Amino acid sequence: MDTFLALELIALALTALLIWHSARTRGAAFTWMFFMGGAFLGLVRENVVAQVAALNLYSYNPATFHLWVGAAPLILMVFWSYTIYLALTFSEVIAGGNLIGGKRRLWVILLSMVFMACYDFLNEAFASIYPMVLWKFKPALTVWGGTPAMVLWGYAGMALIFLLTLLLVYRLRMRTAYRVMIFCASVIVMIPLHLLWIAIFRLATSAIG
Amino acid sequence: MNSRDKRPNFFVREIPFIVLLVFWVIYAGIEIIRDRLDLLTSVIPTGLFIIAYVLVRLTSKEGKDGG
Repeated sequence: MDTFLALELIALALTALLIWHSARTRGAAFTWMFFMGGAFLGLVRENVVAQVAALNLYSYNPATFHLWVGAAPLILMVFWSYTIYLALTFSEVIAGGNLIGGKRRLWVILLSMVFMACYDFLNEAFASIYPMVLWKFKPALTVWGGTPAMVLWGYAGMALIFLLTLLLVYRLRMRTAYRVMIFCASVIVMIPLHLLWIAIFRLATSAIG
Repeated sequence: MNSRDKRPNFFVREIPFIVLLVFWVIYAGIEIIRDRLDLLTSVIPTGLFIIAYVLVRLTSKEGKDGG
């Protein structure tokens, strides 16, 4: 078996473990919302980014990934879920807080953003080996190991936007199925917000390049 | 009684930690094999979170109880 295909399957299996953890410790409503919303976000966002030339960001390397949904690798349907879930869980434990319960919520969200940026260092360094991503532009500002600073900012912003939207929809007083559907539909708001978040940073750092 | 009413066992509680550790080891391992390991990028940032998590688990009351 190809090494990278094995990695894709391992990532899917590890995500299944996280879904199990979420269901056991956070309940069905949270789990459905989080992972269904994350799957929708990955599916729509990554296809938009890969196919809309005007965004001038990146596309995925067809020589690396094996499993695809449109122009995006299948793994992207779980990628945002598992990274943000890890960020949230680690941040809640370290800060002693709870996103839904409200205890130290600000610290949990801020720490989740920092975690995402830290995880991105690991991910981008790994991604550059294959490479997973084909950049359409030269990043103006890079940090350790050549990681585009814009991507760190983007990961952190995704945690902020995803968790705040999740919190907003989770607190709606309606049946779980409706909240899941609303959260999935909210990707049409989350994606432009995230692209705007990235565009602001790109504009601010463009003078450096 | 649903599954949330029962306190999850140690393995279930620590699934996120295990998952991150597996990703961390695989990523860094492949980078070592490809001779591309960069400690500042691949090991230290996520490693600091792993250390902080372990320290909190070991020192908190919940951690001592295995929670």
